[in-house]
Amino acid sequence: MRKASLRSSQMLLASALVFANMSSALLAESAPGVFRSEFLKGNLGWADVTAKARTEGNVNFYYWGGSDLINLWVDQVAVPELAAEGIKLNPVRITATKDTVDVVIAQLAAGRGEEQGSVDLVWVNGENFFSLQQQNALWGAFANRLPNSVNFEWDEADARSLLNLRDFGVATEFQEMPFSGEQYVCSVNRAYVSTDQTPATFAELKTYLEANPGKFTYVKPPHYLGNTFVQSVLYAHNPDGTGAEPYQKTFEDLGSAELARLIEPGFDYLKSIEPLLLGGPSGQTRYPESSGELDNMFLNSQVHFNCKFGVFANHTGLITGAYPEQAEEMIFPRGNMIKNKNYLAIPLNSPNPAAALVAINYFSSVDSQASRLKTAGMPVGLDVWRLNQSDKDLIEASAPPHYGITQQELDDNTAPDTNASLVDVIEATWLAVIERKEDKPIADIVAQVSGELNN
Amino acid sequence: MKLKGHTQPRDFKAINPWQRLLVLAMVTFTIAPFAPLVIQSLAFRWAWPNILPTVWWHEQRGLSPLPLAWDYVFSSSSRVAEATANTLGIGIAVTLLCLVVCLPAARVLAQSNFRGKSQLEFLIVLPLLLPEAAIGIALLMIFIGLGLAGTYVGVIIVHLIPTIPYMVRMLTAVYQGHGTEAEDHARVLGASRSQVFFQVTLPMILPGVIAGCLFTFLVSTNLFLLTFFIGQGEIITLPTLLFAKISGGALNATGAGIALIASLPGIILLFFTDRFIRSYPLAT
Repeated sequence: MRKASLRSSQMLLASALVFANMSSALLAESAPGVFRSEFLKGNLGWADVTAKARTEGNVNFYYWGGSDLINLWVDQVAVPELAAEGIKLNPVRITATKDTVDVVIAQLAAGRGEEQGSVDLVWVNGENFFSLQQQNALWGAFANRLPNSVNFEWDEADARSLLNLRDFGVATEFQEMPFSGEQYVCSVNRAYVSTDQTPATFAELKTYLEANPGKFTYVKPPHYLGNTFVQSVLYAHNPDGTGAEPYQKTFEDLGSAELARLIEPGFDYLKSIEPLLLGGPSGQTRYPESSGELDNMFLNSQVHFNCKFGVFANHTGLITGAYPEQAEEMIFPRGNMIKNKNYLAIPLNSPNPAAALVAINYFSSVDSQASRLKTAGMPVGLDVWRLNQSDKDLIEASAPPHYGITQQELDDNTAPDTNASLVDVIEATWLAVIERKEDKPIADIVAQVSGELNN
Repeated sequence: MKLKGHTQPRDFKAINPWQRLLVLAMVTFTIAPFAPLVIQSLAFRWAWPNILPTVWWHEQRGLSPLPLAWDYVFSSSSRVAEATANTLGIGIAVTLLCLVVCLPAARVLAQSNFRGKSQLEFLIVLPLLLPEAAIGIALLMIFIGLGLAGTYVGVIIVHLIPTIPYMVRMLTAVYQGHGTEAEDHARVLGASRSQVFFQVTLPMILPGVIAGCLFTFLVSTNLFLLTFFIGQGEIITLPTLLFAKISGGALNATGAGIALIASLPGIILLFFTDRFIRSYPLAT
């Protein structure tokens, strides 16, 4: 009861504020939620936002802190540059984004609503964004209202806008802003594999493994890197030859029987290469649990290939000593190198929403993205064709080098991600077919796991 | 060395070969884990099957665009300074609070008899039997409600859970070993309560108190899961920093460097308390 009356009084206050057309200075002192509703209604100018941001002063940025390069860039570039705009960026390094998502959801469940949380900004994509959206834990549709949104393609008529409008097939509804655009790229150790031997298709990979058993493995699903490998296998083995196309639909639209028909050849391939993967020849196939573990296997020559999301992973691996000296990139699997974006989102209970907006606007600027590309090897999230020539040149000049391939080849071989509702079913199918070795027709397994997921 | 009034230590060669072997094995198991850490912390690229790194940190230092290995560990970006300060601060606060709670409790448990005492002793150890993760998740919900999640106070309170059982047990044993005679004498001779405590009891039990504090401090500075849950990643300590570094599944040079730093407080403290307890006049 008390909560309900509190909310209605807030709404009264909000409408009173609209009528009175209060200044932003007063807005900064006003009840929680007023800034949000006013901003989302379009009643505030950017100057109002920056003014409120300066009174808030802080922004708590939760991000995966496993990369020294990204940490250095955040501390040495982003923190001082935002300080110049009057905002103190507090970078909080986390090991798993899901933990932060859980904290936000737990806070909301415990009654810590608008402006009463602890997270202002979180680096997310895929399932984590989906959970926040499902739990109504997002701040609102802000992404197209920032000055730097001009750097992104939002027009649905342009197919390239999909990477900004869909996150693993889930509509972003402007509740998150693209941060970086990544692609699933494999590296090869040239100390063992010559250019002629380098596979470009899954069939060629199998041929290579028959001659060199045990020299490949992929990160184990349900890790997103493992899921991505499986998805690219499924695209390439699509019995209709339509690649990624049917995988853009939701599970409901596609149906269990149709999905089973589409994935069967891909899973046959995965089963057939299992004895040829790392440890397979001795009967104990090993799937690493994380990309760090796979990096180590690659460095120690246990495997000759290393696949992960990382357009410049080969470069950063070489400058940090994490990759073997002769590591080079390769185009594999041809035409099916999955590309997606990751994003910045504001939780509903962000205590400093205006500062979060200013920070996101900063992270979306050409200068910030170019310096991050240069020092941290993190690809830009903005859409280069939206920029003027001098900005385009700046981005191009900031890009770290490629090894053995060109950016053009990477761009020519992209494929989209799989719809988030299918990802769950496919990963559960992988666990049933590959890990538990269930000997049932694939249609039965898909029907069974999708039934379990829905309950 | 000269000050030591103990009996002359025996020559290593004088002990029998089996004992010698066991001592060597013990030394190996104690020191061996540190050797690869030290090497890794100085490496740039160290791959199997090379016994030593193929490229060392110092060779790459001038060439690399970013601070590597110890340069990164000692840069402000590594957060090592902040984590060390937090770890020590929380450890000291936990130790003092734990002592304040446990001294009277242990005295009662050691010197008086009451109904339900053995059950109580059992209950006190119970938190040690519960998995840390279970305590952490259950408490997180409560602490969020109380506004203690992500605060120093919250982390210190939660560190008391696994440390109090140890401290109570140790202090109970110390009190039991001394009996109450000396205190009774002092009281008969007219000493006040505080005089009895500070001039008679405390000096008697001091080695036990120091050992208990050392243990509490070491447990607190090594707690990862509880710190991680209740600190919500906002309060970083050396264990949470180290975990973040190695959770990727690989230990690189900076990870190894942070691991070595994380083991320093314990080593330094162990060294000093060991010397203190050895030279304490009332030590038995």
